[in-house]
Amino acid sequence: MTSLVHATVPVGENVRLARDTYRIRLDCPDLARAIRPGQFLMVRLPGSTDPLLGRPFALYDTILDGTGQPAGVDVVYLVVGKLTGLLKEVRASESVTVWGPLGNGFPDLPPLEQVGLVAGGIGQTPFLAHIRELLGGRGYGGRPAQQTAQRVSLFYGVRTADLAAGVDDFRAAGADVHLASDDGSVGFRGFVTQRLQQHVPRPAHLVGCGPEPMLKALAELACEWGVPCHLSLETPMACGLGVCFSCVTKVRTAAGWDYRRVCVDGPVFDVQALCW
Amino acid sequence: MIDLSVSLGRLRLKNPILVASGTFGYAKEMAGVVDFARLGGVIPKTVTRHPRAGNAPPRTFETPSGMLNAIGLDNDGIDHFIHYHLPYLRTLPTAVIANIAGESEDDFVAMAEQIGREPGLAALELNLSCPNVAGGIDFAIDPDLTGRVVQRVRAVCPLPLIAKLTPNVTDVVPVAQAAAKAGADALSLVNTFVGMAIDWKRRKPILGNVTGGLSGPAIKPLALRLVWRVARNVKVPVLGIGGIATLDDVMEFLVAGASAVQLGTVNFYDPTASVRIVDALPGGLASLGADSVREVIGTLRTG
Repeated sequence: MTSLVHATVPVGENVRLARDTYRIRLDCPDLARAIRPGQFLMVRLPGSTDPLLGRPFALYDTILDGTGQPAGVDVVYLVVGKLTGLLKEVRASESVTVWGPLGNGFPDLPPLEQVGLVAGGIGQTPFLAHIRELLGGRGYGGRPAQQTAQRVSLFYGVRTADLAAGVDDFRAAGADVHLASDDGSVGFRGFVTQRLQQHVPRPAHLVGCGPEPMLKALAELACEWGVPCHLSLETPMACGLGVCFSCVTKVRTAAGWDYRRVCVDGPVFDVQALCW
Repeated sequence: MIDLSVSLGRLRLKNPILVASGTFGYAKEMAGVVDFARLGGVIPKTVTRHPRAGNAPPRTFETPSGMLNAIGLDNDGIDHFIHYHLPYLRTLPTAVIANIAGESEDDFVAMAEQIGREPGLAALELNLSCPNVAGGIDFAIDPDLTGRVVQRVRAVCPLPLIAKLTPNVTDVVPVAQAAAKAGADALSLVNTFVGMAIDWKRRKPILGNVTGGLSGPAIKPLALRLVWRVARNVKVPVLGIGGIATLDDVMEFLVAGASAVQLGTVNFYDPTASVRIVDALPGGLASLGADSVREVIGTLRTG
């Protein structure tokens, strides 16, 4: 097993991207060198036992220094509770504790014409690095950059316009971005999966991250289309390491189903493996 | 040179810092995180006679300086443990203590007999006290049941035996005495305190199992008192458990009467804490003028 980075690291910046949504930059070259798209890290506030546990956050992207070497990690988070409420108050040069890289990451894909990434709510955060990786803009985890997709289309649904975070980043990375909102305040009015249904041509591969009802709708669509699909799941985790057995989801087995740990067996699963 | 070694009945450990069952997986997950050779011992996740899927999620919930868990002994059963996990565990350069839970006395006896034939284990811990298993019996609420299980296991299993006790009783001392009298080499206490969390807006319990066990720094004072009471009243050594996360916590439990400690929830939120505490332990002992762990065990001055 590769070695885990567990360190208290300085914060480079912590900036607001959208309503209740922030991007925190962590100065952690060891982690930046090792982490791949779809993997995650745990973030904890040092020196306090309340909040006690770390929280899992997807890699948003790695940050390169002047010589092109990985120097830091960006995480984008939505303020939803105790830890994220405190995290948004952390200033540059203060420290947070991190451990990672964790989880399996997105699978390697064969050369494809078009990959469709489907995000709902804060589920867009794993996709920036994945876009760069698929389009050959950057290699991760010590691997060279290699293009596997001719085109990456991001379908990104939000409740309302001011919650859309990182859209410029996704476009700058080379994706064409198709927004949807519940109230029609930006892009298509309706569910992001409905927006995807209108898209021509159909992507050759789909990847989803977002709330469970969205993922289920995506899974049904992928099944109907006969398009391979991977989903990145978010579940509450205590450790991120596979030792607490908190974060389980039902996975198909020869005998029917069993609970599997999202942190070590996922967070990315082939939709056909999931037992929903 | 400060002597960190401790003896608990027939069990000898190179130092008193162990990691608690259910907080360290089957150890393999922590390779690359923790240098196992530094630990006094590793106690893998509880094994049951038959596979158990465990409880429906959510299985954990954070509380102020603590957490509730109701995993429900999710495991693949003892045969899988012996064939799949034990070959790795027995290669670890530290004491490995298997942990088993039965739904009946016969379950405990059958598993202890089976696992007692396996090489490479330093001891067997009996989980008599998992609070999250419907249908199972919480043996350690009853001194007679506890004594019977320990005695029957002792008869079939040559390994040093540790009885892990629950704090969810009016008085833990009679249960501890029963386990000691029946032949337990040591006692582990405490398992988690039963609690619950509620989403009042939905009028729903938060945990899939409704109730769960509370652990973490929040329970440390409660655990410390129980360890102190049992260590004063029962003749066998005690492994202290309950919110231990720092060198200070370890020293407090040793002074209270624990002969060794198990780190639990801290493995989740500070996964390298165990090794750092082992490193710091000689300094803690030296600050009391002690040359060994043994010199500080149970030295609380209450006069």
